[in-house]
Amino acid sequence: MEDASKRRRELEAAVLDKVGEVISAVRSAKRVDQVICALHSLAVLLFPLDYSSLLSGSIDQRYRDQVLSAKAPPEEERWEWWQAFYRGAAYPTLARVLLFDVASNWLACFPISARVHVYDVFFVSGLSSEVVQTLVPCLQKNASDGHDINYVLSNTERLLVHCLLENDGVLQMAREFCQSEDSISERTKPSVATLAQIVASIPDKARLRAPVSLSSHLFFKQITIQLLSLAEKRDEKVLDKVDFSNKSDMDDALQFVGETFSRICRRGSADVLLSEIAPRILRHVQSLLSSDFDSAVIDVFEADPGSQFWLKMIEAIKDVYAVERISEQLLHHLATEHASDVEAYWILWLLFHRTIRHQTSVRSMFVDKFVLWKTFPICCLRWILQFAVLECPPDANSLTKGHSIRGLVDTLQRLIAVWSKKEFVQSASMEQQTYVSAAVGLSLEKMSKEELDGTNDVMHLILQGVSCRLESPNHLVRKMASSVALVFSKVIDPKNPLYLDDSCSGDIIDWEFGLATPDKGNLDASDCPEKDVLKSKASILAPESDFNHTANRGISNNVKSKTKKLSEFKFVDPDEIIDPVTLNHEPVSDIDDDNASENSESSSDSSLQPYDLLDDDTDLKRKLSQLVDVVGALRKSDDADGVERALDVAENLVRASPDELRHVASDLVRTLVQVRCSDLAVEGEEESAEDKRQRALVALLVTCPFESLDTLNKLLYSPNVDISQRIMILDVMTDAAQELANAKTVKPKHRTGPLITSISESQPWFLPGSSGPPGATSWKEISETGTLLNWSSRYERELPSKSGQIKRGKTRRWSLRSSSVQENQMEWSHNKFPVYAAAFMLPAMQGFDKKRHGVDLLDRDFVVLGKLIYMLGVCMKCAAMHPEASALAPPLLDLLRSRYLNLRTSVQCLNDTMQT
Amino acid sequence: MSKRPTPDPVAVLRGHRASVMDASFHPSRPLLFTGSADGELRIWDTVQHRTVSSACVHSAAHGIICVASSPLIGANKVISQGRDGTVKCWDIEDGGLSRNPSVTIKTNTYHFCKLSLVKKPSAHAPQAEGHCYHDETEFRGAFDLESLDGSKEKAERGLTESSNVVGEDAHAEGPNYVAIAGEQSHEVEVWDLNSAERLVQLSQSSAGGSPNISTSERGMCMAVQAFLPAESQGSLNVLAGYEDGSMLWWDIRHPGVPVTSIKFHSEPVLSISIDESCRGGISGAADDKIVMYSLDHSLGSCVGKKEISLERPGISGTSIRPDGKIVATAGWDHRVRIYNYHKGNALAILKYHHATCNSVSHSSDSKLMASASEDRTVALWELYPPKS
Repeated sequence: MEDASKRRRELEAAVLDKVGEVISAVRSAKRVDQVICALHSLAVLLFPLDYSSLLSGSIDQRYRDQVLSAKAPPEEERWEWWQAFYRGAAYPTLARVLLFDVASNWLACFPISARVHVYDVFFVSGLSSEVVQTLVPCLQKNASDGHDINYVLSNTERLLVHCLLENDGVLQMAREFCQSEDSISERTKPSVATLAQIVASIPDKARLRAPVSLSSHLFFKQITIQLLSLAEKRDEKVLDKVDFSNKSDMDDALQFVGETFSRICRRGSADVLLSEIAPRILRHVQSLLSSDFDSAVIDVFEADPGSQFWLKMIEAIKDVYAVERISEQLLHHLATEHASDVEAYWILWLLFHRTIRHQTSVRSMFVDKFVLWKTFPICCLRWILQFAVLECPPDANSLTKGHSIRGLVDTLQRLIAVWSKKEFVQSASMEQQTYVSAAVGLSLEKMSKEELDGTNDVMHLILQGVSCRLESPNHLVRKMASSVALVFSKVIDPKNPLYLDDSCSGDIIDWEFGLATPDKGNLDASDCPEKDVLKSKASILAPESDFNHTANRGISNNVKSKTKKLSEFKFVDPDEIIDPVTLNHEPVSDIDDDNASENSESSSDSSLQPYDLLDDDTDLKRKLSQLVDVVGALRKSDDADGVERALDVAENLVRASPDELRHVASDLVRTLVQVRCSDLAVEGEEESAEDKRQRALVALLVTCPFESLDTLNKLLYSPNVDISQRIMILDVMTDAAQELANAKTVKPKHRTGPLITSISESQPWFLPGSSGPPGATSWKEISETGTLLNWSSRYERELPSKSGQIKRGKTRRWSLRSSSVQENQMEWSHNKFPVYAAAFMLPAMQGFDKKRHGVDLLDRDFVVLGKLIYMLGVCMKCAAMHPEASALAPPLLDLLRSRYLNLRTSVQCLNDTMQT
Repeated sequence: MSKRPTPDPVAVLRGHRASVMDASFHPSRPLLFTGSADGELRIWDTVQHRTVSSACVHSAAHGIICVASSPLIGANKVISQGRDGTVKCWDIEDGGLSRNPSVTIKTNTYHFCKLSLVKKPSAHAPQAEGHCYHDETEFRGAFDLESLDGSKEKAERGLTESSNVVGEDAHAEGPNYVAIAGEQSHEVEVWDLNSAERLVQLSQSSAGGSPNISTSERGMCMAVQAFLPAESQGSLNVLAGYEDGSMLWWDIRHPGVPVTSIKFHSEPVLSISIDESCRGGISGAADDKIVMYSLDHSLGSCVGKKEISLERPGISGTSIRPDGKIVATAGWDHRVRIYNYHKGNALAILKYHHATCNSVSHSSDSKLMASASEDRTVALWELYPPKS
């Protein structure tokens, strides 16, 4: 062992010496032949060279001899040199010289054969992984050291194309990972990921003028083909030997493949990648399925070595995003290639059956993302459900249910939760809705009634989702609802399907809902317009006929505008005799055309789509602003709306106490008492019409007591009102009496302060006084920047903010009622009631005991009597301590002592009073 | 298929304490001028939606009926018309209006007709092909050389003066005229903004050349619009709407005889707008229709193109967007309505205001629209954004 390493060190030293020699020879060379000779002397030690072709080049005789004299070492020695050269420090050093100095100074003079044999050979026949590492950084070099950078770059690009594409360098690289080399120390071996990154970055690093084959599309396509050929070649030999004997190296190669693929996806070329992968894997699965096997299909796949490649490749891709892109593209490709359900299932199984078990991210990708967030063709949805949710191989033409029901139930619950949301119906795109509805329907089909019963709220949510879809104006959305409802009903009771819609009468439901799914197979940029058309077809919102229509119109308008131009030349002729009458009509149509054509030119038709033109005039109903109008509106009992609006404004209008209030008060009171509020009652209204009526009456009694009381008292014992109205009248009077008694007036407090303020001696007379709220700072003079001839001086000071003042942002709020305002002003409670006490009480007391038609307070309407006594009591309380009270007390006592008021009524009155 | 819901205003500018009578955008900066019935002129920042400045420019008792600004009178000027018989021209300094108006015209008019600044076809306005044979310079020269009708000495003097003033004032370009219903409210007057002198009076008395039509035949002038059609060799044209629903078209080279007279409306014409190319316009009246018409200067004809009937009568303001795509009307029924200017079909009914709308106005970049209403608010709308 030690011997070997010693020998290796010696060898490396020898190689380095030789390289140093060559480099110095190149540097000191005067002629191109010298350079060729120097390079040849090294190349001959490393590579098997073909002399005859080299000699056919035009090398000077002297140097030709030198070249010929160089002895090629034996095969074995050469191999050792080669190893030492590429694995050691020698190669990067030489490559630098080759790529920069030789390339910019000499390479142009090289004969073709010489270039191939002594220059390119260092890269083409080298260790690919090392070659790539030296070449790619070169692509980003900027001009330096006087090298012709353009030439250096184009040369590098040429070499890259030559090495990687034409000589399958990427494949070689992958192979290099397989070959277990004891001599490679882990240190020098570049990490697989770095190398993959370098390879994938080539198209981005290449210049714009680089060869077309370095463009990302072609380049990635090429290296994908190379790497995939690995899979096929493995079938033959590599797999048998290497794969199973030495797992770790195999893993390295696959690691490289996986990393490269994921980098390609990251760089946005997943479609290129899959356009290669998908057909291959489809062919692979087809070939396995077509051969008749007795054993289970799973075993076939397990046993097949080719399948291992695919499985491990996906496992090697660690990047979740890349996996997602790959699976997405794979599904689309399979859909366009019309893979059967069975094939698709096995492809998915082959690629993902292990990762879906071990990696939650992959699982959630299939079960969540692909079902809820992305949209695929419906056939893809079936595959996804079959593979990820049902987890069992399908029949020939329908989904089959596996043993594990758990996954299905979970998925269905998640789907239903999203599907049933109203927001989803409103905001999700039509494609998304179709997709999720189909997912719901397909997974619902697989459920049984018992399983549905086992779930918590699925049934409820389904009904909710169906009902909110059925309200939709969109036919398609309604159809989704009816389809899901049909499936649901079939699950619940297979014999009695529920058809909500005439169209879906068949047994098989079209989950695509007649939508033409965009054909995403050819993803080239060139078919973008076509895709757009398909998309717009798919979106039902824009009817096709409209398109045709506008298109036709556009064409005809263009024609028209052309003809118009022609006609206009005639039009300008000044000598033409014009009949004004004809002209008055002609330009109109002319201009119409003109505008229309202008329209189609700028295609403003689409941009000027009208909004909802619905216009109702609810806000325009006449607002009642006059009391007379209020009275009028209240009288029209058939116009409930008007009555309501009148009640809305009545209180405010009365409180404003306009001049005409006194004249309309009695009318208003009468109508307010007689208006039928129960007709207007709205359940759960914040403020019922009854309340409004009462408050309006209270307001009337307060603002205009005498006139209103007059009418009210007349009504109280009138035969035309019923008990409830009488009670209401008494309630209103009670409230009004209380309000009058508590009337508040604000009076400013007289401010006492010294009338003459003495100025302290320390302060000059012209300074403003120091009085003010406590906390104010002293006065400061403001420095004036203006003219010196300034007679006035200005002073400022800071005042503390008032206690009630709130500073919020920069806005100062003055209107807040601050406490200081209340300090200065006093609220006086002024009892205004006693003045009106007699008007309140006496008429009410007068006729209580008379039995008239419909009025019988003492016997039948004892509740009214109770209210009356309560009202009188409140009135007395409000008038207490005032001289009016003593005048009113005797009649009230008379009433209470009256013989008509027997015990029964008294007790009931008391009870009543207590309650209120 | 459900239609799109009607959009809401992008901003509502509150702050006026009385009915907002008129709104006008600054021709280049993001500013909006609004005038209210209590005489307050406010300047708003249309980006921040804040008041930049506020000033009482006319007496509170009379109020403002019109504010106007136009690139033709200079970018830093705004004009306010009060019901106190004055028209004031203000300079916009940074942060607000000048303390005193740069020009005050005592027009002695106390009516409801909003004044009109001159509208000139802009170079980038949608032109009907083949018609544009006057380029800008030619038409300026023509204007300076060819003065008004020789019989009108006053007018001529005014014009020469005005051209002097134009020479001095580097900011102002073009004629600084303002058309306004006159002291005799059945007349239309054209005033020079720089000299504050009246150029010409357009009286309807001789309309149609028949002297037997009495002056009160058409009634008061209710709306005016002054414009400079490209074909008119730079002479000012005025379109005026009258109380009886008729409109007269004047070329002020011939103040005695109107170019044409038409009657689209049965009630007073309240608003006239001319599009950017000065080849067509729209009028709103107190009756229940909006009329779109085309103006042909060479024939002197005004022909109705499209008549839009309304559910509820009363259009107090109209505005054609500078790009000529849509028009907006301000209705007594609190609605702002949007129509396709070319086709005349309704595009939107904007319900935001809860009182009569007094005016609508479009910004010069066509992006914003402002509606002023009696409910003391100004609403800003962004509808059918123009393709940039």
